Amino acid sequence: MNKKKTMQDKMNRQYLLLIVPGMVIFTIGVILPLLLALRYSFTSWDGMTVEKDFVGISNYINLWKDANFRQAWWFTIKFTIANTIVQNVFALLFAVALDSGIKAQKIYRTILFIPCLVSAVIVGFVWLKLYSNVLPELNEIFGTNINFLLFGDGKTVLRGLVIANNWQWIGYWMLIYLAGLQSVPSDLYEAAKVDGANAVQRFFNVTIPMLAPAITICVVGITTGSLKVYDLLVSSTGGGPGRASTSVIQMIYATAISGRQYGYGSAMSVTLVVILLMVAMIQVKGLKSKEVQS
Amino acid sequence: MKKKALSLFLCSAMTVSMLTGCGGSGDGGAAEAPAADTAQDTEAPAAAEEEPAEAEAPAASTDGEEVTLTVLAGQSTTDAGIEDMIDAALAEKYPNITLEWECTGWDGEFHPKMQQYMQSGLPDIIIGKAQDVNTYASQGLLGEIDAAYLDRGLDAARENVTFDGKTYGLVYNALYQGVYYNKTMFAENGWEVPTTQEELQAIIDDCNAKGIVPFASHMVDTWSIGNVTMQFMMNDVFNNTPDWGDQFREGKVSFAEDQAAQTAYSYNKLIFDNTYPETFSTEQTDCDARMVLGEAAMKVSGSWSIQNFLDIDESFDFGIFPFPNQTGDSKLIFEPNIAIMTSAETEHQDAVNCVLDVLSGDKELAVEIVDFTKTASMLKDVTPTYTNPSQADIDAYAAKGMIVDVTLGNNQLVWGGFQEENAADIAAYLQGDISFEDCLAASDARVGSSSAQ
Repeated sequence: MNKKKTMQDKMNRQYLLLIVPGMVIFTIGVILPLLLALRYSFTSWDGMTVEKDFVGISNYINLWKDANFRQAWWFTIKFTIANTIVQNVFALLFAVALDSGIKAQKIYRTILFIPCLVSAVIVGFVWLKLYSNVLPELNEIFGTNINFLLFGDGKTVLRGLVIANNWQWIGYWMLIYLAGLQSVPSDLYEAAKVDGANAVQRFFNVTIPMLAPAITICVVGITTGSLKVYDLLVSSTGGGPGRASTSVIQMIYATAISGRQYGYGSAMSVTLVVILLMVAMIQVKGLKSKEVQS
Repeated sequence: MKKKALSLFLCSAMTVSMLTGCGGSGDGGAAEAPAADTAQDTEAPAAAEEEPAEAEAPAASTDGEEVTLTVLAGQSTTDAGIEDMIDAALAEKYPNITLEWECTGWDGEFHPKMQQYMQSGLPDIIIGKAQDVNTYASQGLLGEIDAAYLDRGLDAARENVTFDGKTYGLVYNALYQGVYYNKTMFAENGWEVPTTQEELQAIIDDCNAKGIVPFASHMVDTWSIGNVTMQFMMNDVFNNTPDWGDQFREGKVSFAEDQAAQTAYSYNKLIFDNTYPETFSTEQTDCDARMVLGEAAMKVSGSWSIQNFLDIDESFDFGIFPFPNQTGDSKLIFEPNIAIMTSAETEHQDAVNCVLDVLSGDKELAVEIVDFTKTASMLKDVTPTYTNPSQADIDAYAAKGMIVDVTLGNNQLVWGGFQEENAADIAAYLQGDISFEDCLAASDARVGSSSAQ
């Protein structure tokens, strides 16, 4: 008994030792800045002076009154919802299509995956040019009158950004679904066939439940990624026209860094972190409960 | 035991690699970099003696010691590339000095970088705009520039880079801002350069009647809205009330109540109503190209457009006039652009002085830079060799004393956090997302961010 306990203690010490470097890096890189941001959020610090005057929770109160901050959140939420739905649906459909044994599967997979290797900044520039210069030329060629200037109007900018973002990331999430599909045991499908299930029934009663872990990963990943969107916006719309596509992260940057309101910007970032954590926890908890083991 | 040893080894390896990574920046890399370029450091003193500066320069690090200076350059779109010219000129005169450049866009990355360096120590040399001097000198971060170098520049360049009686910036070149116009188009249609709003409106009406787009614009770039708004503010607001920004902070004036400020904002609507319908999807290069191709008659802009104009068609004939104000006494806008600042805490002041010596004393370099950037030099006896079709207009306005330095406005109402945020609101107003009153109210609510101090 004692020997077993000593052995377990040794193992625990070894585990602890192994996670120390990671913990140190994580603490310095994430935990400490987070705590500092929390501290600054209670000050009126401008990021330049030595004085960091304590202002209590007034920054948080001002956030509720800030129409621009509310608008940034509203845009970010719409962007996140649109991405989460579109990206998951299309990534899953492409994965199912590629898993069905079609010819030249590897070529299609490569084509769909390549955009996610490109920096989001480049993607922003590319789609800005596409919408502004390249696609309107198609109207000239074919004599059509399709509005391709999606970034130039507050009413269409979200649509344009969702298209650009999905073009980049669908291939990435498709691979996750593809890996999940390939790990579904074939005997489950055979059993369902024997029971008389058609293709649609097999998809909803076998594929989807068995893909639940992959769905959890994809939904949480896409949601948190969309909530943090920044680089795509900077290089494409710059948050405009006006403030129509300003995300929360962009607003935090503009407020804290360009606007020299570190305290206020820190309060914004604290709220973002809290909401990110809440969303991720709710999603993980909700989706985990639906996962089944093969 | 083996597992323990293995885990210890792995931990050590990770820790060492982490520390190595942390130590790989800054001095280490910097110390290695200059070796290749500084082989002839013994020649430096001779070179300095052969080509004495006009003003007596302080003794610099020409004793052969190899020095690497860090430089943060916040550049305008026209400036990218001048770092190579400066490197080449420095290598000729002071081969023992190497510049380690960090070039960023002035509009966006420069100020965040400065704030980052304020925590860890400023670079030895900072290149920004004249308006930055006020921001950073007031924090005690900048070193005073020696008069020996300042004296090589035009006196007019000093006023707005002087804080509390000390000059912290060497202004290198300048831009002019106003309305660029297609001279051929103006001649063909019999339009005269307008000096009043009524005359400008007559040209706009004639343009519209003839199917010509009156103004080229690229409102996809929010900075362009901010830029032209300050031009309007200079002529309609600061011309009459030079301390309007200070009064704004004291609560004596506001955007919601000041008719002149409202007029300045409303000119954006005039441009918006008389430009390409797709202005919010049009980038600067495309916009300038369309102007050169004769698709638009005028463009409210600055010297940075000249580079594009002449790159697209070097024979493009254009002029410049100030955007007419309500009182018909508009002045052409003058903006000191590249301003060289130094860190108050630099450990290499002699070497920094050598760089200032080259920048202020090397006229070939100065001509090369102003030719490249298509700007005006702020150094004495330096004349650009490029052909600027709008130069005659500039000279005419200068002769009549109709030029005003925009630093007056930029120092009172800062760009970051104020002008650029107001520009976003103006864009939202033009898009119909908010009312004009909301736009004005938003600017008033931002009063706390209007000053750098």
